[in-house]
Amino acid sequence: MRNLLPTLRAERGWSQEELAERLGVSRQTINSLERGRYDPSLPLAFAIAALFGCRIEEVFMPGAPAEQ
Amino acid sequence: MTAAPPRSTRPTSTGATLYGMYIGGLASAALGNLFIRIGTEAGWLPQAGRTVLALLSILPLVVAAFFFWRLLRNELDEMLQRIVLEGMAMGLIVYVPLAALYTNLRTAGAYVPRLDPPDVLFGPALLVALGIAVAARRYR
Repeated sequence: MRNLLPTLRAERGWSQEELAERLGVSRQTINSLERGRYDPSLPLAFAIAALFGCRIEEVFMPGAPAEQ
Repeated sequence: MTAAPPRSTRPTSTGATLYGMYIGGLASAALGNLFIRIGTEAGWLPQAGRTVLALLSILPLVVAAFFFWRLLRNELDEMLQRIVLEGMAMGLIVYVPLAALYTNLRTAGAYVPRLDPPDVLFGPALLVALGIAVAARRYR
């Protein structure tokens, strides 16, 4: 899946560590999510969308992840 | 829908501590095995002492296993849980056929080297560690 996590995170000036803290996951998970190497579970996807004030489909899109 | 409850965000330090406990536990078990064999050959360790030493030497590993289970269930986030479980699965997938092959080759009378207890002890542990390393690399 593709996602807009890096963009959304940068808009708020958060580091990966800060985003991880807010979501209650590890920084490695955030890094893997942003690189498209890991797809989140539904609860985590909903938590991410709620944190950014978006809908899930505005954060995650089907398709191959963009090369970082 | 409510957001997922936050989990510990310090798995790296917890994982490092647990890894140290695990290695220490393996070392304790291997050392216990060594002392039992030395004590048996030297004749200064009676049967009861050997049994007690055998039980005591694996206690650190039991403690490490308990904390590992707790870490896996309560402290690792979903991706790290997946990495650990995939790694353990990979270790098992490699170890079980190898163990079956070794057993059957010995039964068939084929020449296979005799495995000492440390080989049996460390083999699965190393395979699981390798499996976790491979799984972690996939998600990086």
